[in-house]
Amino acid sequence: MTTLLSLKGIEKSFGGLAALSGISFDVRPGEIVGVIGPNGAGKTTLFNVITAVFPPTAGEVEFDGERISGLPSHAITRRGVTRTFQNIRLFSAMTVEENVMVGRHCRTGSGVWRGVLGTPGQRREEAGIRRKTAELLDLVGLSGVDREGIAGSLPYGHQRRLEIARALAAEPRLLLLDEPVAGMNDAETQDVFGLIKRVQSLGVTILLIEHDMSLVMKACDRLVVFNFGRKIAEGTPARIRDDPQVIEAYLGAAEGTADA
Amino acid sequence: MEWLNPYHLQVASFVLINAILGVSIYITLSTGQLSLGNAGFMSIGAYTAALLSTQHHLPIPVGILAGSLLAGVAGVLVGIPSLRLTGVYLAIATLGFGEVLRAVLINWESLTGGAVGVAAIPQMGRVILAWAGDRGFSPESLGLQGNQFISLAVFLILLLSTILSVAFFLRLSRSRVGRAYSAIRLDESAAAAAGIPITYYKVMAFSQGALLSGFAGALFAHSTSFVSPGDFTYHRAVEILVFAVFGGSEHIFGPVFGAAFLTVMPEALRFVSEYRYILYGILLVLMMTFRPQGVIDPPLMRAVRRMRKGRTE
Repeated sequence: MTTLLSLKGIEKSFGGLAALSGISFDVRPGEIVGVIGPNGAGKTTLFNVITAVFPPTAGEVEFDGERISGLPSHAITRRGVTRTFQNIRLFSAMTVEENVMVGRHCRTGSGVWRGVLGTPGQRREEAGIRRKTAELLDLVGLSGVDREGIAGSLPYGHQRRLEIARALAAEPRLLLLDEPVAGMNDAETQDVFGLIKRVQSLGVTILLIEHDMSLVMKACDRLVVFNFGRKIAEGTPARIRDDPQVIEAYLGAAEGTADA
Repeated sequence: MEWLNPYHLQVASFVLINAILGVSIYITLSTGQLSLGNAGFMSIGAYTAALLSTQHHLPIPVGILAGSLLAGVAGVLVGIPSLRLTGVYLAIATLGFGEVLRAVLINWESLTGGAVGVAAIPQMGRVILAWAGDRGFSPESLGLQGNQFISLAVFLILLLSTILSVAFFLRLSRSRVGRAYSAIRLDESAAAAAGIPITYYKVMAFSQGALLSGFAGALFAHSTSFVSPGDFTYHRAVEILVFAVFGGSEHIFGPVFGAAFLTVMPEALRFVSEYRYILYGILLVLMMTFRPQGVIDPPLMRAVRRMRKGRTE
């Protein structure tokens, strides 16, 4: 299998407004693919279509050779696609640890009775959840944080990392990161870059929305560029950097061609 | 044994039944669903238990079990179509369900006895006394009068039922399922993205709340030996909600405390007669203003736990 995620002619319109039109591209296993484009280009909409926050108007999403568009969100997570959100969406009233533990839900199975009775199997499972949670907090660089502290009171950068830990808890094969370094300074951005590379080295494929071009150019194997809901370019960072259409989308057209 | 009078025991019994009702609304609330249908589910449990024991002469435990399960099934049937509704719309729909059910109880006279209700339901305490009496037991051997023994037996059964209900859901709230409930309450779409099947757990919580309301209703029927549609009005639905609002809806002990406090207070204030409902109202307004999350909230519980830990160390 040479493609992990395959988007085929994705269309999404809200009322009469086309937010995405004719989006097709593939993501290969092990890659880091960046999705870039000006604000409002449809990048987050694409993530929402892939994770079934809403269905595409037309087109199909295939993951690992199987069609996943039409499945509910939790089933897609179970298949191995998880995400973070542009505006962090932690369970802020829960503890740091619990946030990650919730992410283990689809990889564990204790139901009501086993939970209430505390059977040996259930206790083993809980211990496993806690062990995995500790590992993940360590991986994202939160091992020094009070695990029983409230997630909502963590500093902003830590919240972003915690959200990544929660997404990793479901053991994804494809991780969708929506602006993981938005609002961070250079040092923090460097840390997150290191984290993304570490996650990749664990065998997780990454689709990344990001505005920080230095990060995108460094981290990504390939880039897909969106503008006004269309894919306008796709290729290696070096090629995208010199693509006249991309430059036009970001900087505007050169004089004389603007009204063409 | 003067203090152990049937009046005190009856107030204590109502505290316990109300505590179970408080837990029942807490469960549905713990997935972010506000249901006012619990008075309706309570009536299903109460009438099922009452009719099975009076008309079909089935043993009391069978009636209680059947009443609880039927209420749970009704919870699934109401819960599924209610999934599209949230917040105040869900509250209105479930309140409507309760009122429709009450209209059915009033009008289906051949089965339910209409507005008069069902009387002469076997009372748990009396049944136990009769059973024990047949085996040569006399309450005097414990220094109790007959009616003291009856009230005490009812109280102990209700106490056990309440402890089991609270323990069940306390343990559930600390398990994988409980975490899923909280996640859904805090952020539904983030919960779905974390791999939690929202629909499944929302219907399950709704049905568990209904089942527990039915359980409380069945216990109520066999404690008071009389039920009528008037026991399950809109006022009851709101009363249950107030347990959770006053006591706190974010921790299971909140509605339990609310139920206990709000059941005992009007009794304790009997000496100011009619004015006690004014005090009740003032108290609720003050709560809304100064502690809108209710008396008991998770930070308070954490502080209590830390204090206890500190003392044992």
